[in-house]
Amino acid sequence: MATRSRGRGGPRRSFRRRPRTCQFCSDPSKIIDYKQTDVLKRLIKDTGKIRPRRDTGTCAKHQRALAKAIKRSRHMALMAFTTRRYR
Amino acid sequence: MLRSYELAYIADPDLDEEALNSLEETVKSWIEAAEGRTTNVERWGKRKLAYSILKRSEGYYFIFETEMPPQAGRAIERELVLSEQVLRFLITSRDQ
Repeated sequence: MATRSRGRGGPRRSFRRRPRTCQFCSDPSKIIDYKQTDVLKRLIKDTGKIRPRRDTGTCAKHQRALAKAIKRSRHMALMAFTTRRYR
Repeated sequence: MLRSYELAYIADPDLDEEALNSLEETVKSWIEAAEGRTTNVERWGKRKLAYSILKRSEGYYFIFETEMPPQAGRAIERELVLSEQVLRFLITSRDQ
């Protein structure tokens, strides 16, 4: 996806190598929990959106758990749905 | 049969210590009424909310570790929804 473009105007998007290993697989002591906002905050963009797997290298299984945890965290007002700047 | 659940709620920031304690007891009594038991209660104290809920910008966080039968959730959720002192709540399973 990152290497496509060309053709219709616009520069080629720079290719950023994704981390190869899932941080939650390689370190089983890291648990995904909606209350741990310090862990979850690193996995959202500054807009408040959930960062995609291709950015973070998280495996499918943990990304699912993560998405759920982030949504729970938002429900409990521990994390914002959006940031004012981007509203 | 009992299962492990975690019940978290945000209490109104305008409540005083006494009201918070009685709310905690009421929640415990709901759990007991549903034939469950509370093993631990964690108080986070007053925290700023990431966004305002019902015009409140902060709230008292309470996290209960409970064991209750699976069908207990519905009755407790109903009570929590109707309670005006509770801004938000969340019941999650703790079984891995």
